[in-house]
Amino acid sequence: MAELAEQIKIPPRSDTEAIAWKWMRYSGLLLIPLAWGHVALQDVLVGVHSIDLDYVAMRWASLGWRVYDFLLLAFAFAHGVNGLRQVIHDFIPSDKVMKKISWALLGFWLVFSIIGAVTIIGGVRRP
Amino acid sequence: MAQEQSPLMESVRTTISGFTSYRLRTGQLSFILHRLAGLGTLLFLTAHILDTSTVYFFPQLYTHAINLYRTTPMMLLEIVLVFCVIYHGVNGARIALFDLFSPKWWRSGPQEKTALITLAIAIVLWLPAAFWMGRNIVIYNF
Repeated sequence: MAELAEQIKIPPRSDTEAIAWKWMRYSGLLLIPLAWGHVALQDVLVGVHSIDLDYVAMRWASLGWRVYDFLLLAFAFAHGVNGLRQVIHDFIPSDKVMKKISWALLGFWLVFSIIGAVTIIGGVRRP
Repeated sequence: MAQEQSPLMESVRTTISGFTSYRLRTGQLSFILHRLAGLGTLLFLTAHILDTSTVYFFPQLYTHAINLYRTTPMMLLEIVLVFCVIYHGVNGARIALFDLFSPKWWRSGPQEKTALITLAIAIVLWLPAAFWMGRNIVIYNF
């Protein structure tokens, strides 16, 4: 049993995979206060019926909330897309195919992260 | 005669037959629930980045997006989403803390016990949120 515990302690061999492995755990711990705070406030306490353009504009008038949302976007989306990559990896035996999928996921992550970042920095534009 | 199988189909088959031939014990159930909760949350997050981006790119569309989220089916899905976020967080904390600080807890025994404790904590945290969101559905949509 002790041997098994020792084996489990060893992270994956390749450097990038080791970084990805640690990233999932550390970003995951950070996301607990970030994502739960966001969900508790927006979904439960405020609720979707009280959210409109004015509400978003009011919230983003404070720099603190913009920074909060920016951190949430950066950590949650990267955590999520890397998680998706890990799930897909379990179904794809070919390294060549997996490499292509990984690049596609990187592109997907980049495009949506940029869209989100531009939105948070640009803020609400009145119609 | 053995059928010709591509490595991809072989792998998918192994994974699926693994799911069905395992006896669905706590460890495997929490593994599956963790992944489904994570993938579900990512699916919503992707949509959520797009709907929020309308406030900058197409402000007149934001009202349409919000109106969609205000319908009863979407609000019910929102309650499911909140469970996914809570469960993925509690179980993720278990995984991260065990992996980083105490891998010896992964042995049979504590592993099963903590998987159940994780589920219990998630349900206890989710119930008040679900009640409040359910209350909002009744107040606003009926």
